[in-house]
Amino acid sequence: MALELYRISMRRFLTVFSSLSIVLLFMFVLSLSVGSTMVNPIEVFNKLLHSLIYKAVNTLGIPHVLKPVIETDRVYSVATLRLGRTIAAISTGALLGVAGLLMQTATRNPLAEPYILGLSSTALTTIAIGIILVPNIMIHKWALTTIAFIGALLGFVLTILLSRLAGGTSISLVLSGIAINALFSGISHTLLYVVQNTIRMHYVFLLMGSTSTILLNDTIFLILPFAAGTTASLLLFKILNTFLYGDEYAKQFGYSPSLVLIIISAIASVLTASTVATVGIVGFVGLAAPHISRLLVGTDHRFSLPITAMIGAMITTIADVVVRIISLLSAGLGELPLGVITSTIGAPFLAYLIIKRMKGHEDSY
Amino acid sequence: MKIVIRDLEIWYNSIKALSNISLEIVDGELTFVIGPNGAGKSTLLKAISLIVPPKWGVIYIDGRDVKLYSVRELAKTIAYVAPHISRSIPSTVLDYLMTARYPYTSFLQFKEDKTDLEVIDKVSRQMNIIHLLNRRLDQLSSGELQRVVIARALTQQPKIILLDEPSAFLDLRYRLEILEHIKNITRTENLITIIAIHDLYLASLYADKIILLSNGSIAACGNVEEVLKEEVIERIYGVRVELLEVKGKRIILPVEPLTLSTPQQNT
Ligand SMILES: Nc1ncnc2c1ncn2[C@@H]1O[C@H](COP(=O)(O)OP(=O)(O)OP(=O)(O)O)[C@@H](O)[C@H]1O
Ligand SMILES: [Mg+2]
Repeated sequence: MALELYRISMRRFLTVFSSLSIVLLFMFVLSLSVGSTMVNPIEVFNKLLHSLIYKAVNTLGIPHVLKPVIETDRVYSVATLRLGRTIAAISTGALLGVAGLLMQTATRNPLAEPYILGLSSTALTTIAIGIILVPNIMIHKWALTTIAFIGALLGFVLTILLSRLAGGTSISLVLSGIAINALFSGISHTLLYVVQNTIRMHYVFLLMGSTSTILLNDTIFLILPFAAGTTASLLLFKILNTFLYGDEYAKQFGYSPSLVLIIISAIASVLTASTVATVGIVGFVGLAAPHISRLLVGTDHRFSLPITAMIGAMITTIADVVVRIISLLSAGLGELPLGVITSTIGAPFLAYLIIKRMKGHEDSY
Repeated sequence: MKIVIRDLEIWYNSIKALSNISLEIVDGELTFVIGPNGAGKSTLLKAISLIVPPKWGVIYIDGRDVKLYSVRELAKTIAYVAPHISRSIPSTVLDYLMTARYPYTSFLQFKEDKTDLEVIDKVSRQMNIIHLLNRRLDQLSSGELQRVVIARALTQQPKIILLDEPSAFLDLRYRLEILEHIKNITRTENLITIIAIHDLYLASLYADKIILLSNGSIAACGNVEEVLKEEVIERIYGVRVELLEVKGKRIILPVEPLTLSTPQQNT
């Protein structure tokens, strides 16, 4: 019976994983094709596959008769121009999804999320302070990410402390997050407005997140933290699993609750900080992705971590495509920020979760 | 196997929860811990499972200070079953029970072993929760959840089982059935079993030894006849009791709260 159920959940994970991979690939190609210059997604897919195979056989030194892809080909060049922002959108969602899942487990609160708990705003605030103190920090992306990390971690600690003062219930955590978020949004808005000239971009893009200015080279600042953070979290899956049932429960397996909380918070802060430093604030992805993932594959972190990353990636990729479609339709000036779309989808979801929760019993964490 | 506790004293910040606790608990026996609310029953169990640190005193398991055990050894040796677990992010019952096998697998083992799942199977049948394995923890009745958390402890296959209020939500049959089962495995596998409980009836039925706590210290300790005496229970709990004789066992029956002498206050 137990063996059978375990096999079923294993199989379900593999099915969900492979289906989502296909959907994600589809969205990837779609994102490369949509924009001010539309290209045919099927052509994009063929050309990309072609160039990938060509590069692979070339580097492996296998003799072949393939022709190289013409770099000036219209479809190919348009698609590769969008490669940077597409990868950025995918990684941002994956990063925020995993960060949200970690924070929900660490606080045992299904409403936890980097934006709601104020980490994003405090990260942006420390970035703004960094820019004011050292104006050319903008070109040192790793330094910027580190500063954002410090901000995010401080934000998480502040929110948790405030919520414990308020009784440590799940709703008090969310309310504390909103308070911290409001305060530091205000501070970061003001500071960024002041330094607009230095950062040479409209400050709104940092406030609400945008991928439109991201180059392919910049994506490394998202991909590396994602790889490191997700690997670390996967290695900790047993700790995360026992942590769900309470501090005393985890302690029985030799995992010190306070140490675990610090480690998980640090990883979640790294993940959040890298998105804030590179893309800006994108809210609510970290709330929705873990919920959908738990619905699909359950709470076991070996399964839910990878699925959460994929669902987060899908949410931001769709949002990024929607941003471009809206700007096409309105023939407007520039683009909407990405975070506007995710908030519009995410906030009603939060409302739904709160209603569901308030109707049920109120657990403290 | 044997637990020896010497001069244990436990504080929660500025609240003294236990003092002057010296005990010896042997295997193959059911030891019951009783006492009024706030007497320190849960604290005693948590101290033995190292969930709360002692301020003074030492706990020895098999002659060795528990602090000298590795965390993995301890996790294989002791299981403490709290009356509540967090269910705010509810997993399935199976996921919950699988965590109980972690002490037996390497930290990075991703795949579940067949033998571990077979242990879960066996225990789930004994606790009659096999039909609940696929259920989420928030979809169980209180009594079902209670059987699940006890099943977790048995899945861990410890040498020492500490049960905190295991019977509060169980119906009449399960109360007897589960304690009967715990008694059997305690005897056959030579476990140390300590049960904190309010139900003096169950204690008198199953206890080999009873520890009566009051205000953080031991008020009485011994076998059922030595501890469950009318005047002792009346003094500690502040209730008038009557004694019944059922199947050769002495049963304590609380009748009414004493109003003449006020019960001892826990401060
Ligand atoms: N986490 C804690 N922080 C502070 N004080 C605590 C804590 N846990 C218990 N106490 C106090 O320690 C004392 C002993 O508590 P304990 O939980 O051991 O009692 P108990 O005998 O299990 O009571 P009950 O029958 O109500 O379960 C009580 O005075 C209680 O208020
Ligand atoms: Mg208790």
